[in-house]
Amino acid sequence: MKRFINKKETLTVLSIALLLGIWKLLAVILNSPYLIPDPKATLAAVIKLCMEADFLMVVGSTLLRGLIGFVLSGILGIAIGILAGISPTFNTLITPLLVTIRSIPVISLILLALIWFQTGAVPVFIGFLTMFPFMCTNVSDGIRSIDPGLIEMAHFYKVDKKRILTGVYIPAVMPFITSGASSAMGIGWRAIIIGEVLSQPVYGMGTRMQMAQTYLNVEALIAWTLIAIVLSFLFERLIRWGESYIIRWKNAS
Amino acid sequence: MKIHIHNLYKSYQNPVFEDFSISFKENEITCILGPSGCGKTTLLHIIGGLIRPDGGVLEGFQDKQLSYVFQDPRLLPWKTVCENIEFVLPKHLHAAERKKQAEQLIKQVELEGFSCYYPAQLSGGMRQRVSIARAFAVSSDIILMDEPLKGLDAVLKQNLIQWFLPIWKADRRTVVFVTHDVEEALQLGDTIVVLSKTPARILLQTENNKLEKTDRLKEMLMTALENKESG
Repeated sequence: MKRFINKKETLTVLSIALLLGIWKLLAVILNSPYLIPDPKATLAAVIKLCMEADFLMVVGSTLLRGLIGFVLSGILGIAIGILAGISPTFNTLITPLLVTIRSIPVISLILLALIWFQTGAVPVFIGFLTMFPFMCTNVSDGIRSIDPGLIEMAHFYKVDKKRILTGVYIPAVMPFITSGASSAMGIGWRAIIIGEVLSQPVYGMGTRMQMAQTYLNVEALIAWTLIAIVLSFLFERLIRWGESYIIRWKNAS
Repeated sequence: MKIHIHNLYKSYQNPVFEDFSISFKENEITCILGPSGCGKTTLLHIIGGLIRPDGGVLEGFQDKQLSYVFQDPRLLPWKTVCENIEFVLPKHLHAAERKKQAEQLIKQVELEGFSCYYPAQLSGGMRQRVSIARAFAVSSDIILMDEPLKGLDAVLKQNLIQWFLPIWKADRRTVVFVTHDVEEALQLGDTIVVLSKTPARILLQTENNKLEKTDRLKEMLMTALENKESG
């Protein structure tokens, strides 16, 4: 097992090194910081950005928007997902709406949101709408996946409702919630940054990316992108960590 | 004292029970033998209150606490062996008391050392033992068992039967044990009832001395079953 992990880690490092190698090669060939800046200079730009006085404010604002969108989509997605999971009629009613939301191009949503909301709320709204269908579908799938035999068993033994909820329903749906959260986070994070690029709130990673692009500061643009990738990776890890704790019974065998 | 079902009626597309009556002796194991689809499970479901009969009277069940050993063990996969048993214990008990009772049962069913295991980590036979432990954990008067040994290999089946009888003898609760296996019925049942195809009738009801195996009884049961299969 240990050898396997070492091998896996080695491959990951190799893959990153290869990517950096290609980047460096392109930078040397093109030899223009306005097209592809040098990786070393870009990494220095990342460090410089991190040192800036308003860095935490910028990143924090984007994170906060992401979090609000995520929590809203989580609350509403779980509530509506439960209803859709329990009632087939409600599920039939809600499905076309979910499919529509998922099919709308993000850019249309942003353009509409720009008309409807204040700038800071646009990314939140976009994040919410892109994440909500994932949460909702996953929760309703989770409810439907519950073995009716387990519920019958619990009723037979006269287990009270509260314990059926906490002992059967919630643990059965949790893996579906974490997997929904994981997909939602990946899509939502990107959507929020696009939302910021177009709505230009005062503080936001998207706003900074747009500014960098305007001034042809490709180094800063890629630096912000790298920061966004690292943050997204950290979220993903956090969710996976939570997931592995929640479904430890699945991995126990 | 006896427990009765009188004039039971139940039909789905076809009638399963039509004016069907049966008695069970208390503190005994009654084995109900019959092929699949003859209404054995329906009968247990009706006794257990999981489905309503179309008509008939159940006598002697009303004030009784029941336990059910399902065909599949129906354990919560996200709970450990101990937590699965604790789950069905009455809520007025303190957590510590519940745990104590569950652990005691685990010891009794010889699963000591496995109380922190998840169902997926156990073999099929062990899972069924947990399900049986859960049925015994509840202070029930009657235990309904729906082919709990189905799908287990012959050796495991034998082991479970040898393991089950002493546990049952400890407090001799009334057991209604449904099976399609004559050998199982002969080894477990104090009374054996053979049912016909639907609508179910009692083809044969006989006392069985578990200690004295007679080929004659086995033959009688086999003949009754064969008649039912062909008819």
